[in-house]
Amino acid sequence: MLTELSAYTNRWRQAPPAAKGLFSFCGMAAAFAAGSPRTALLVALILSAATILGAGVPVLRYLRVATPALLFLLASGLSLVVSLDFGGSTGGLSAHLAGAELPRIAQVSCRSLACLTALLFLALTTPLVDIVSLLRRCRLPDTLLDLMTLCYRTLFVMSEAVHETITAQSARLGYATFTLSLRSLGGLVANLSVQVWQRSQVLQLAALARNNDGALRFLGPDYPNPARAVSGAAVSGLLLIILAVTLP
Amino acid sequence: MISAILSLADVSYSYPDGTHALSSCSLTIRRGARTAVLGANGAGKTTMFLHLNGILRPSAGQLQWEGTPLDYSRNGLRMLRSRVGLVFQNPDSQLFSASVREDVSFGPMNLGLTDKNVRERVEEALHAVGMTEAADKPVHNLSYGQKKRVCIAGVLAMKPEIIVLDEPMAGLDATMQEEFTAVLERLHGSGITIVVATHDLDFAYGWADQAIVMRAGRVLAHGAPREVLLQKDVQDELGAVPLVAEISRQLSLLGIDLRDNGYLPRSKGELLKAITAHTRQENRP
Repeated sequence: MLTELSAYTNRWRQAPPAAKGLFSFCGMAAAFAAGSPRTALLVALILSAATILGAGVPVLRYLRVATPALLFLLASGLSLVVSLDFGGSTGGLSAHLAGAELPRIAQVSCRSLACLTALLFLALTTPLVDIVSLLRRCRLPDTLLDLMTLCYRTLFVMSEAVHETITAQSARLGYATFTLSLRSLGGLVANLSVQVWQRSQVLQLAALARNNDGALRFLGPDYPNPARAVSGAAVSGLLLIILAVTLP
Repeated sequence: MISAILSLADVSYSYPDGTHALSSCSLTIRRGARTAVLGANGAGKTTMFLHLNGILRPSAGQLQWEGTPLDYSRNGLRMLRSRVGLVFQNPDSQLFSASVREDVSFGPMNLGLTDKNVRERVEEALHAVGMTEAADKPVHNLSYGQKKRVCIAGVLAMKPEIIVLDEPMAGLDATMQEEFTAVLERLHGSGITIVVATHDLDFAYGWADQAIVMRAGRVLAHGAPREVLLQKDVQDELGAVPLVAEISRQLSLLGIDLRDNGYLPRSKGELLKAITAHTRQENRP
């Protein structure tokens, strides 16, 4: 829940999500506009600096959140650089380095890195509820947003239920041996399925009790000086794109 | 004269699995009163509450709002649910959004009010339950007691005339219970009728103006707590007597009469005050 922690505690928590969303979008546009790996890396650097220095997200937390995605990116990059050949002319397993394709692979990887930093900027500075309200204002379908809202809320409720069940099972030696662990895991899944069903029924009742007739409607958050923040984000985002386009 | 706001007349209800949850249940909730509903688990308290909000419809009998039978049409239910706020036992099964402010806005948004109006109501409701400071926190980072307060704010923002709370004290520590009672008192002070299901006899005895004891889907006793909760059949059903009442009774057997102009202490605080006053009187030369 490191992302969550940053989203609620960063310096730009009270900035309008529209401004942060716009800057993140410009960051992605700049990543695509970057003509060389070097420029894409520069865009990534600027976006990380904005997150760490601007929004005040601690460097270590930033790296911990970014690590899984970076590892994924590294694995993807390596799989593009090295290609394995089964059989072929020699009849055995052989590895080839994609020498001629290297600049292209570097370009794709650096661009992906810049896109990743743009998304991290949004994720680490904006709580999901704000992102959902932003998407609602962008007229995304209600059903999709309701699902996002409920899934996000249920994630925490269910993770608590999972922890409680595992603790209760462990307290009765449920995970003492491999066989017992498998049995307990089965029990956990069965128990959770029933809980999900029961909780969804109570949630339905709670919605009815508060006069709900279908779509989940919430009041969007109110932010001070939204126009100023959005224009600030637009200008800096635009500068980032211009930088990416003009640099070789 | 205090008028009836909601009443049940011979209401029966069976769940689809055949369980008879209510059988000829009749009771009256008085406007402006603090009502405590007591009874063992499975006595029908929650089912009765779901009827008050129009979520369940009786299979026999009738519910009345100020003497008029409930209207179960779309508009009728809309009106009823904006007047009767229902707070469930488990806050996690009631809170939809991970944002406190958003969740509180859910009810008033469903009433079709303007954004400005909803925003005002949300702030008022959060202030009333003392949650303004925590309004920007995510729901999953709140304590159990705070989540319960958010649930009340969510109902309060709909400006109901009655708030019905299903076992609100369950899971709260002593300090939280005290804070919660203070919130209920504030709401009652603002003119809202409060109905609470509880297993806490001492709380019901000290807090309520009227007590309703249920057994097997029926009303066993209904009236002032000092009368109802001391009845023999009620004691047998609930398995206990309010501690303050029992101490007062034991003291009166020892010749210590704590009555002050006929008023017997109802809460721990009142009992201690009465004992102190009695001791001072005894020691007076």
